[in-house]
Amino acid sequence: MNLTLGIFIVILLITLGITYWAAKRTSTTADFYAADSRLTAAQNGFALAGDWCSAAAFLGFTGLTALYGMDGAFYALGPLVAFCTVLFLIAEPMRNTGRYTLGDVIRSRMQTRTSLLAAIAGTVVVNFAYLMPQMAGAGVLVRLLTGISYDWAVIFVGVSMIIYVAFGGMLATTWVQIVKAVLMLSAGAIILIMILSVVHFNPLTLFADAEQKYTAKYLLPGNYLKNPFDQISLGLGYVLGLAGLPHVMTRFYTVPDARTARRSVVWVMFLAGAFFAGTTLFGLAAANYVGQEAIRAADKGGNLTLPLLAQYLGGGKGSFGGDLMLGFVAAVAVATILAVVSALTLSTSGAIAHDFYVNWVKRGQVDGKTEVWIARIAAVVIGVLAIALGILAQGVNVAVLVILAICVAASANFPVLILSLFWRRFNTGGVVGGMTVGLISSVVLAMIGPAMRGADALWPLVNPTVVSLPLGFLGAVLGTLISGRDTENEKRFDAFLLQVHTGVAPG
Amino acid sequence: MTRNGTSLEVAHASVKELIAEKLKYLVPMTIIFMVGYIGLTILAGFARDLMGLKIIGSVNLGFALIALNYLLSWALAIVYGRIAASKFDPLAARAAMEIFGAEKLR
Repeated sequence: MNLTLGIFIVILLITLGITYWAAKRTSTTADFYAADSRLTAAQNGFALAGDWCSAAAFLGFTGLTALYGMDGAFYALGPLVAFCTVLFLIAEPMRNTGRYTLGDVIRSRMQTRTSLLAAIAGTVVVNFAYLMPQMAGAGVLVRLLTGISYDWAVIFVGVSMIIYVAFGGMLATTWVQIVKAVLMLSAGAIILIMILSVVHFNPLTLFADAEQKYTAKYLLPGNYLKNPFDQISLGLGYVLGLAGLPHVMTRFYTVPDARTARRSVVWVMFLAGAFFAGTTLFGLAAANYVGQEAIRAADKGGNLTLPLLAQYLGGGKGSFGGDLMLGFVAAVAVATILAVVSALTLSTSGAIAHDFYVNWVKRGQVDGKTEVWIARIAAVVIGVLAIALGILAQGVNVAVLVILAICVAASANFPVLILSLFWRRFNTGGVVGGMTVGLISSVVLAMIGPAMRGADALWPLVNPTVVSLPLGFLGAVLGTLISGRDTENEKRFDAFLLQVHTGVAPG
Repeated sequence: MTRNGTSLEVAHASVKELIAEKLKYLVPMTIIFMVGYIGLTILAGFARDLMGLKIIGSVNLGFALIALNYLLSWALAIVYGRIAASKFDPLAARAAMEIFGAEKLR
C-alpha cells in the first residue's frame, strides 16, 4: 500500500509542477476558460480521453464485465458510439458559436436573459450531479487504496482540484488530463500485453475459459440490466447524454478552429475506444484468473477488479511485481478522479462566473481582469462545496446521481442545444420549456425509481432516459409553439447559421 | 449597405449549399450508427437467446455485434474526417470569404 502512496505522490508533484507552469501563463479570460484556444488536435484528443474516462470507466467497466459479463461490455461500448453524435452534430458548431461555455451558445442564438438562465441551470445541475458521486467515490477509493480516512481523502482530493483550477485554469486542467490519459493508456497497454501473453495471444481463450468457469449464461446480456428498457435507456443516455455534458463540450473551446475540434474527436475515439474495448477483455481475464468471489470480497460493486487483476498479472499478492502493478493502477485511478473533478469544477466556475455573474447579473459590463478573479473565487467556492457534499454523501447511495447527471444532460441540455443550433423557429420559450421539462422529469423519475427507493419503487426503471428524453424534446417544442413566433429571432437565424457552419460572425 | 446586403446573400447561398451537402452525408451516417447501436441495445433487451448464438468458439453473436459496433464507429469517424476535409471545408471557406468580402466593403 505504501508503494501506491509513493507512486501517487510522484504523480501529484508532476501535476503541481504543471499547475505552477500554467499559472504563470494564465492571465486573461481566454487563458482561464479556454487555454487561449491554442491546443493541437492531439493534445485536445488526449485531454478529452482524460475527461471521458472517469473512475466509473477506468474501474467500473472492468468490474461490471468481470461480475456480469456482456452487460459490462455494453457499458464500455456506449461512450465510444456517443462520440459519433458529438463528431457529427456538436463539436464543430460548438467551436464556431461559443467562446467559453454552453451558456455562450444559447445566449448568442437567443439573445435573451431568460434563456441564459436556463442554460446556467442545466450546466450547474449536471455538473454537481456528476461531481458529488465522483467526490464520494474518491473518498472510498483513496481510503481503500492508501488507508487514510474517508473525510481526509475527500478533503485531499478537493484541495488538489481547487489548486489546479484556481491557479492554473484550463491550461493546468488540460495538462493534468493529458498526463492522466497517458498514464491510463499505458496501464491499459501493459495489462493487455500481460493478459495476451498468458493466453498465448489468442483472446478467444478468455471467452472459452469464462464460459467453462461460469456457464454460457455469463456471456449473455441481462445479468446486470434485467429490465430491457433499462438497456435501451442506457444506450440512449450514452449516445445523446455525452453531447449534453458541459465539461466535455467546453473542451472544444480550447482548440483554434472547427477543423481542429473535429480532428480532436477522431483522436479521442481511437484512444478512449481502444481503452474501453480493453476493459471488456480485462473484465473477462479478471473473472477467469482472480475469480468473482475474490473480486466481490474486495469490493461488492467490483470497483477493485482492475487493481486486483494487475496484482495477479504482476506476480500475485506479496510479490514485488504484484505490489508494483497494484500500486501503479491504484495511483492512476486516483489521478483519474482528480482530473475529472478538476474539469467539472472549471466548467461550473465558467457557468457561475462567466454566464451568471458577468453576463446575467452585470450584463457583460465586467473587465477581463476582474472576471478572471471572480472565476478563480468561484472555483474555490465550488471546490469547498464539493468537499462538503462529498463528506455528507458518505454511506449514501450516490449511484442515482451518476444516472441523473447523464439523464439530465440527455433530456434537458441535449434537446435545447441541438434545437438552438438547427431549428429556425426555436425560441426562448422553447429553451425554458425543454430545460424545465427535461430536468424535472429526469429528477422525479430517477427519485421514484429503484435506484433510490429499492423495492418500494413507484416506477420500474433505474435509468429514466428512454422516457425523459422524448419529454424534454416535447417540452422544447411545446414551449416554442406556446410562446408564439419571435420574428426578430427567426430573422437572426440566417446570420447564426453562417456562424454555426463557418465560424465567422457577420458584423 | 446594399452591397453588404448582396454579399451576405451570396454567403447565405453558399451556406445553404454547405448545409445541403452536410445533410447528404450526415443523415445516412447518423442513421447507420443509431440503428447499429440502439438496435443492438434492443436486441440485448428483447432477444437475449439470439444474442447467445455461438459465432466463433465461445464468442456469441452479442459480443460479435459489440465488436462490429467498435469497428463501425471508428470507420465512420475516419470517413467523416475525410468527407469534412474534402467537401465541407472548401464550402465553408468560400462562405467565410464572401462574408469577409462584405465586411471589407463597408
